[in-house]
Amino acid sequence: MSESVSKVYGLIAEFETPAATMRAAEQLRDLGFQRWDVFSPYPVHGMDQAMGLKNSKVGWFSFIGGATGYTLGMVMIWWMNAADYPIVVGGKPFFSPFSAFPPSYELTILLGAFGALFGMLFLNRLPRLHHPLLKHRRFALASHDRFFIVIETADPKYQPEATRKLLESLGSTRVEPVEE
Amino acid sequence: MSAHAPSPPLPPPLDLSRWRSLPNRLIGIGAVGVLLGLVLNPLQFGYSWLTVFMFFLSLGLGALFLVMVHHLFDAGWSVPIRRFCEHLANLVFPWLLIFFLPIALLAPKLYGWMQVADPHADHALHAKLPLFTRPGFYLVAVLCFAIWTWLARRLRAASLAQDQDGAARHTLRMRRLSAGGIFLFALTLTLAAILWMKGLMYEWFSTMYGVYYFAGSVWMTLGTVYFITMVLKRTGTLAPVLHEHQFYFIGSLMFAFTVFYAYIHFSQYFIIWNANLPEETFWYVLREKGTWWYVGLVLIFGHFFLPFLAMLRIDLKLSFAWMTPLCAWTWVMHYVDMAFNVHPVLHPNGYPFHWAWLDLACAALMGGLLLRAFLKEFAAHPPYPVKDPRLSEAMGYVVVHPSPISGGDLDEVDELNGAVEPNGGTR
Repeated sequence: MSESVSKVYGLIAEFETPAATMRAAEQLRDLGFQRWDVFSPYPVHGMDQAMGLKNSKVGWFSFIGGATGYTLGMVMIWWMNAADYPIVVGGKPFFSPFSAFPPSYELTILLGAFGALFGMLFLNRLPRLHHPLLKHRRFALASHDRFFIVIETADPKYQPEATRKLLESLGSTRVEPVEE
Repeated sequence: MSAHAPSPPLPPPLDLSRWRSLPNRLIGIGAVGVLLGLVLNPLQFGYSWLTVFMFFLSLGLGALFLVMVHHLFDAGWSVPIRRFCEHLANLVFPWLLIFFLPIALLAPKLYGWMQVADPHADHALHAKLPLFTRPGFYLVAVLCFAIWTWLARRLRAASLAQDQDGAARHTLRMRRLSAGGIFLFALTLTLAAILWMKGLMYEWFSTMYGVYYFAGSVWMTLGTVYFITMVLKRTGTLAPVLHEHQFYFIGSLMFAFTVFYAYIHFSQYFIIWNANLPEETFWYVLREKGTWWYVGLVLIFGHFFLPFLAMLRIDLKLSFAWMTPLCAWTWVMHYVDMAFNVHPVLHPNGYPFHWAWLDLACAALMGGLLLRAFLKEFAAHPPYPVKDPRLSEAMGYVVVHPSPISGGDLDEVDELNGAVEPNGGTR
């Protein structure tokens, strides 16, 4: 496949130390890049701040899941025990929020966990079968001893030459294009 | 460029000098109110005093618990806040013991079981012998205060000794003390909650009552601890050793205890509701009459739902403007909880609004005296354990030392170290 035909996914910049990666990430954050990411063999403390990452939105999915679970549990028990087929049990009211609470609470946890799991997958755009980075030969080192910053061509600030020069000036030892 | 975001210029330290007369004013106002209450209605005074005593006992025991848990978990983050918790725990002696004296004197009037002529004829009381006898009552009180005082004093003494030499053996000693102490703490707190508060209706029984009091106590203590930490950060006293994560962790614990309290109280209610035995339900039936019904709802929504939703977000746990009212709210709700436990004995038809001033007066007197004692202790000692080996960890610094996990090597650790060096880029 010739270079002119293939689309470029982005630029991959290799770094040798977490410190250099972190400083580069801070610069990119301050320059206002949007579609870029950092890959490291282990979690680097402070990288979230250096990248300007906000708190994950997964919490909202679990919250909505939990609230749905609680409501669903309460409504289900009310419908079954008080509306659709009322049976007197132990002289208790047909429906009481107290007896309905434990199952509703468990549904809260179940749907809250579903919200967290599927919300995470949704936000991560997972599962996917392939990613352009996986074709890149040196990218495997991200699980060994190298650090990478990838800027996508889809980033509004991306300019082929200027971005490459920028990454080099930030201390990258090797900047290469990644094919789509 | 540094690895951390540039910190904004520090605001000027908080000036608390205009609050200096607060403790004395509280004591003055409180003493007048308490004397008035004592003259007008000694029995009402007894219950009001008991309500407020149990409220402030929560603070002392909650702080003792936090100190012991710090040692038991070998925690690093809570080192800066441990010293004032030690002072709070030491309020148990002599102040809380002094506050217990009116209850000890009025006990025969306050506790119905002391008026039962023949304990053996009353099965509910007979089953609780010999705990529910006068010697039992007073012996347990002495035992509880002795154990709390001993634990609080010993833990603070070791902590202060470490301020001198910084030796790790003090940490180990405090840990050993806490390991045994936590059992004694659980037993004595349960005994105290049962005899002093649950004993108001001796016919009732709930095995969760001790945990219930404990959960509310620690919750309210965490609200107080958050507030004190925030004030000490603003005044600059603890600012050099605090990190953002202290507030996050105290907030998380507060959130956890919000849920824990609700879980315990719900379980207590639910089990009684479900079993539907008259000898158990009467306690809650009484508390569903008159305005007590609404007090119960205030507990459900105010003690649980409101703080639960307010602290659900991570970032809000770090916002002082958001958390300060919430810290004050823990005091209001814990008071409501104590009143819900104590006041229905004398006022079965609803919360005694016309006697609320007496509760407030007791709170002002006890609060003022405790505040003064606390400030005196706090001023007399270093504001945080200055030579605790884990202090740097609390401050967010990485301490490089070969550990059994790294096999005696410093590998990878120095790589991370490069991340915070201002001009180290390549190895």
